[in-house]
Amino acid sequence: MDHTENKKAPGVLSRLGRAWRTNPLFSTGIALIVMVIVQTVALTMNSSSASFGDWFQNWLLNWVSLLRNNSAIGIIALGMTFVIISGGIDLSVGSVYVAVGAFTMMLLDTGPNGWLGSLGLGGAPAILIALVLALLFGGLLGEGNGLLISYGRMPPFIATLGAMQILRSVTQYCMKLQSPTLPEGYKDIARLGIGGQQLMPIFYWAILAAAMYFISKKTPFGRYVFAIGSNERTTRLSGVDVRKVKRRVYALTGLLVAVAAVIQTSRIGSMDYASAGSGFEMDAIAAVIVGGTSMSGGRGSIVGTVFGTLIVAVMNNLLNLIGVDPYLSAAFKGAIIIGAVLLQRKDKA
Amino acid sequence: MTLEMRNIYKSFGANDVLKDISFSLKGGEICALLGENGAGKSTLMNILGGVLPADSGSILLDGQEVQFPTPAKSLDAGIAFIHQELNLVNDLAIYENMFIGRELKKKSGLLDAAAMMARCREVFAHMDIDLDPAAMVRDLDASYKQIVEIARALLMNASVIIMDEPTTSLTDPEIDRVFDMMRTLQAKGVAIVFISHKLKEVLAVCTRYTVLRDGAMVAQGPVEGVTVDELATHMVGHQVRTESLRQERALGKEVLRAEGLGQENRFHDVSFSLRAGEVLGFTGLLGDGRSELFQAIFGSGGKYRGQLYLEGQPVRVHSTRQALELGIGYVPRDRKENGIIKDMDILENGSIVTWPKNTRLGVLDWAKVREGFSRQVEGLKIKMDSEKDPIGSLSGGNQQKVVLAKWLNAGPKVLIFDNPTQGVDVGAKEDIYDTVLALANQGVAVVVLSSEAQEIIRLCDRALVLYHGRVQGELSGEDMTDQEIMRLATGGETRGRV
Ligand SMILES: Nc1ncnc2c1ncn2[C@@H]1O[C@H](COP(=O)(O)OP(=O)(O)OP(=O)(O)O)[C@@H](O)[C@H]1O
Ligand SMILES: [Mg+2]
Repeated sequence: MDHTENKKAPGVLSRLGRAWRTNPLFSTGIALIVMVIVQTVALTMNSSSASFGDWFQNWLLNWVSLLRNNSAIGIIALGMTFVIISGGIDLSVGSVYVAVGAFTMMLLDTGPNGWLGSLGLGGAPAILIALVLALLFGGLLGEGNGLLISYGRMPPFIATLGAMQILRSVTQYCMKLQSPTLPEGYKDIARLGIGGQQLMPIFYWAILAAAMYFISKKTPFGRYVFAIGSNERTTRLSGVDVRKVKRRVYALTGLLVAVAAVIQTSRIGSMDYASAGSGFEMDAIAAVIVGGTSMSGGRGSIVGTVFGTLIVAVMNNLLNLIGVDPYLSAAFKGAIIIGAVLLQRKDKA
Repeated sequence: MTLEMRNIYKSFGANDVLKDISFSLKGGEICALLGENGAGKSTLMNILGGVLPADSGSILLDGQEVQFPTPAKSLDAGIAFIHQELNLVNDLAIYENMFIGRELKKKSGLLDAAAMMARCREVFAHMDIDLDPAAMVRDLDASYKQIVEIARALLMNASVIIMDEPTTSLTDPEIDRVFDMMRTLQAKGVAIVFISHKLKEVLAVCTRYTVLRDGAMVAQGPVEGVTVDELATHMVGHQVRTESLRQERALGKEVLRAEGLGQENRFHDVSFSLRAGEVLGFTGLLGDGRSELFQAIFGSGGKYRGQLYLEGQPVRVHSTRQALELGIGYVPRDRKENGIIKDMDILENGSIVTWPKNTRLGVLDWAKVREGFSRQVEGLKIKMDSEKDPIGSLSGGNQQKVVLAKWLNAGPKVLIFDNPTQGVDVGAKEDIYDTVLALANQGVAVVVLSSEAQEIIRLCDRALVLYHGRVQGELSGEDMTDQEIMRLATGGETRGRV
């Protein structure tokens, strides 16, 4: 047996094999492509479109609504990616979401109780102010988590579990007697579109994903997040203010959740404070994990999370198309998570 | 017992690390495995220990061909392995670590903690080490962790023990005790592979040596009659200097002054002064507190008593970030836990300290980062394929050089080196010494913490010897000798100068 033979000039196949084994993005990408193909087939069999034009329009509309429906979770998952790469977890995203949603609606309420309205503010300026305040509020709530975790030295699971309970319950309490209605102008944030299609949420998601990708690769902050998740001690001994970085990670996540909340309230125009956003933390974590980010921190990617979000979304869409009983959809989601992680397991070298 | 590795080949990608290596070992032998950083020593032993598969070749134990697909299989065959990097579970107690995977159980099937602790105490007593088996590993200093690793291997009743640089954090008296234990085992017929860059140790304890260079076997023979020079020449291809590197240097103003620094149970009433261009050494035995002292000065060791002055100004350092901004740098000891970020590549590991300096509008300027790092790669002769490779693909000694590199570019006023030559080969050590002296010549105030007396003697202008966290004495110039350092380090009084 000649040991030198098979390593000079590796063939395409062996290179692909290597990528499959070592690069989690590669296998996630393949999984996504397979899912999309199956989904397309299912869609084709489902529809009775006569011409290719009809079929294509059908296909496109399906995608637009799929992307739009998943933009909120997609945006939240971007923040969750940073949190998990830094070695933490954020269970409070669903509650921050509902808190920011309620806050924004109270600011803009066109009724007598509207906060900005009672200050005599209205129209576009009011909407702008509400937007800024909403994002600030989300960032602040995230900052609260960050402070508990970094300076309070609390395990992220516990700090955010507490925040999750507190925020939802306080929101429900405060909103008990309120039923705010939103001004029409506010709804344009999400509803502005092309050809009658609401494309804005998709657009925001794409922009934020690109921005987060850039931060994760090109800024010291982004790289510190990876470094902390991999070896916090070494990172601190390299002159990095680890606590500040961690604080910012949670604040950034709060900010992204606020964006999601604004998009959704603008799109839907109302919010059910008891159920809105519940389960978001699990959906976001699932997207991040399916996207190949390691739960123990240090490894992961924004692109992976976008793939992960899409994989879960396409699967839900597929189940819908082929008419699987809705009771079973969570089982499929669970299977996807387990399957994805099995696929991504690197060779233990 | 005989062990044979035959015609072993191993490559990582295009890098042929082991080329047709054959290696044999008999019971009652202590065989030194020598070679430069990256020669392939750890890789060869990882194959024997079941950590890595060989590309081809075979392993024979008592004439029978054996396969070690996992570390557990190798251990079952009686081969214990002390890895180059620490391998302890921080969240478990010492005794749990010592018995991990082969816990002692009572008849009921429950763990017998008392028996395990008793066995540990026995081994520690034998090694003359004062350690509580119930203490958490997390709270141990690197040196004690290394002791625990060694003690664990001794517990296993192995017939072969592989020791990959087991003494890098230890001082001479501890090393002597480890050697005593090795000789006892040798007399019982145990075979030991001993990897070390400290050639004096090799001469002291080994019976045979084998030298690898670039993955090929270049020399072997009995240790008897061999000199340090000969071994060094086999390893690096030329003689290695051993003379003192101390030199007259114009010292600048006082940069760092400590007055009465103290921290509960760690160090007490430490005062010293350090001038620009000076190389000040700190040494002592296990538990002397020197690392804790300087981690506190660097802002990562918690609260301390006393006062620190930087360039005459009183300062209190709360965070490492602040230290970096003040111009204090610290190259940590124990690279796996304090020096290396395993999920990042070589370039990132070697530059993280200087990222804040190399940004434009908040965005990292990778070209500038790379430029700075390349300078250090050249200066320190870091052996690597591509700076994009994960740090874990480098040999231990080369990882150590990357840890040094990240601080050299930071341009600090005070640079503290804690055990800077951990696992570095004899040739590369001299390169690092040259780097340290070049810094001093540029006017940087340098602190060297080391457990190796020769390192202090050859490199430092002055040295403070600590004993249980207190300054036991100060030595300089010709007074710095192995004997004098050892006397102070073991609690001897300062001799009045005549
Ligand atoms: N997992 C890996 N992936 C890629 N290359 C590796 C890996 N492990 C080791 N190498 C390469 O193999 C070579 C030999 O490494 P090895 O760790 O055996 O050296 P060593 O002789 O133990 O050196 P040191 O004295 O520095 O510990 C080096 O060039 C190293 O870069
Ligand atoms: Mg090695």
